[in-house]
Amino acid sequence: MIRHLFTLIWNRKRSNFLLISEILLSFFVLFVVSSLLVSSYYNYRQPTGFAYDNVWEINVSPGQDTANRKEMVQLMMQQLRATPGVVAVTITGSNTPFAFSTMNSNQYMYKGKQAPMTDWYRVDDDMPKVLKFNLTHGRWFDRRDDAATNNEPVVINQKMASEMFGQEAPLGKVLTDRESKAKWQVVGVVDAYRPGSAFAANDPAIFFRDDLSEAATKVDPNERPILLVRVQPGSGAVLEQQLVKKIQNVTKGWHAIVNTLEENRHDKMKVVLTPLVALGVVSLFLIINVALGLFGVLWYNINQRKAEIGLRRALGATGSGIGTQFLGEMLVVTTLGVLAGVVLAAQFPLLGVFGLEPTVYILAIILAAVLIFVLTAICAFQPSRIAAGIQPAVSLREE
Amino acid sequence: MEPTLTTSHALTDSRATTSLKNTPMIKLSEIEKVYQTDTIETVALNRVNLTINRGEFVSIMGPSGCGKSTLLSLMGLLDEPTSGTIEIDGRPVTSYSDKELAKVRNHKIGFIFQSFHLINDLSVLDNVELPLLYRAGMGGKERRQRALAALEKVGLSARTKHFPSQLSGGQRQRVAIARALAGAPEIILADEPTGNLDSVMGEEIMELLLTLHREANTTIVMVTHDESMALKTERVIRFFDGSQVS
Repeated sequence: MIRHLFTLIWNRKRSNFLLISEILLSFFVLFVVSSLLVSSYYNYRQPTGFAYDNVWEINVSPGQDTANRKEMVQLMMQQLRATPGVVAVTITGSNTPFAFSTMNSNQYMYKGKQAPMTDWYRVDDDMPKVLKFNLTHGRWFDRRDDAATNNEPVVINQKMASEMFGQEAPLGKVLTDRESKAKWQVVGVVDAYRPGSAFAANDPAIFFRDDLSEAATKVDPNERPILLVRVQPGSGAVLEQQLVKKIQNVTKGWHAIVNTLEENRHDKMKVVLTPLVALGVVSLFLIINVALGLFGVLWYNINQRKAEIGLRRALGATGSGIGTQFLGEMLVVTTLGVLAGVVLAAQFPLLGVFGLEPTVYILAIILAAVLIFVLTAICAFQPSRIAAGIQPAVSLREE
Repeated sequence: MEPTLTTSHALTDSRATTSLKNTPMIKLSEIEKVYQTDTIETVALNRVNLTINRGEFVSIMGPSGCGKSTLLSLMGLLDEPTSGTIEIDGRPVTSYSDKELAKVRNHKIGFIFQSFHLINDLSVLDNVELPLLYRAGMGGKERRQRALAALEKVGLSARTKHFPSQLSGGQRQRVAIARALAGAPEIILADEPTGNLDSVMGEEIMELLLTLHREANTTIVMVTHDESMALKTERVIRFFDGSQVS
């Protein structure tokens, strides 16, 4: 019977071509959406590499006051560290966790190999105390690095280590820029750092040691020093008011805005999820349209083939056999569409499109195929039942 | 030139024995068929009692709408009577399940239709194989051999790969006959088999049916409007307004 179905479908290839094309396109759209979902889920399951709970972000606004900014910032940080309830304080660039700011470059080279696009961060020695990085190799920055002259110390994440050094031990390795003017020596490796969002990929990252309070004195008057403060669990509005007051007392009028990283994470999540939800809704409409299309085509097919159904019943087919045949035909047509779609989708992992893991694409292919088969089976079920219930004498007479 | 009818693969089995000749193959008792809609009730068959013996070639005649095709549908187990009983080969089939009815249709009955009812997207050979697809336990090789034998019997072994649209009306009806023969049925039900053919083709098809009847002793029930064709059969049953009149 399977051979018979293939013969029938092959001989009806012209009329089946559009149906197969529709299934192919639907599969491909589902594959793209599935890739996005699987990739997001895959990222979501990865460790973020840092702890954001009980961490506050303080945006300090000096306004037009540029005088003694370095001293002001240093004094401010001292005062904050001395405040009861504060565990640690660090100063960072604008690309804090969950910020809408990123800084990246692919200028890093090792033995002629160029790094992929890598996120870079300016950090100070206290950052691990605030964000609780998990160092897997070497160490974080400390006073030993004050003496570094030729090779600037850097810390990288495991992803960057794998990309640049493969199986080689990363510690002590020296990265250069394209002209080999700048040299950066790896002193430590953190396992992961995904500050973008819960769904962000674990991209390569490199950390530079920087005296940000120094830098803060040279920048545009509108640029705001950003502090990350780890506080004791349970700290709330009282501590927040204390910190703001201290900043204002020390700086004589600088403004400070305090957010928790948890709030920032929540805000970022909304922004990240919005296009995902929009895409999901669009895909849902598409799937509904495809389902209605398939349903209509099958319904039409059955009406067109009533005489054939009657004939098959006359020749010995049971009602359920007719239903199974229609379902089987639809599944064979679906298989042909899905096979063509798999050939197309397989190019993504083979060509490394978008730099996603091959596993993501393979899972997306499986998910899309399962969805298409379930969809067509659901759409074919009712028309097949109708076909199974057609009275042979009636359908033969209609011809 | 049309290939001549061959008899090399005549269907022969024990059913041709004389001792069975007068046993009933199809027996209809008090058959009524009423078509009912919301407002209209149409009596298609009214208390029909009819017996067709094994190996008999019977024609059914009557004006349009008298219930001939309905009667054939009931004999072929394609429809259920409103009341009455049907026996095929001595067994009452009225209470059979869908699966049992399908099995009887597949093993015992072959159908020939006025409009041929060939599947245009299947080759001649695939069309003839169709009833054998529903026969449990029959392998592809045996199906092919039986289909080829049936096509040879109707003189179309050279057209196996053709599609119905590439054949003449007479050839299409020959394919339909080969399809009916492929399963080696004991009964052939032919609903106006020459109705869509010109007189020459009609004669050819009628000769073919007569040869089959002679050689394989198949029970044949043929609905026809053509008196000359009917007279070639062993018995003519006439219907009028749903009742048998002779």
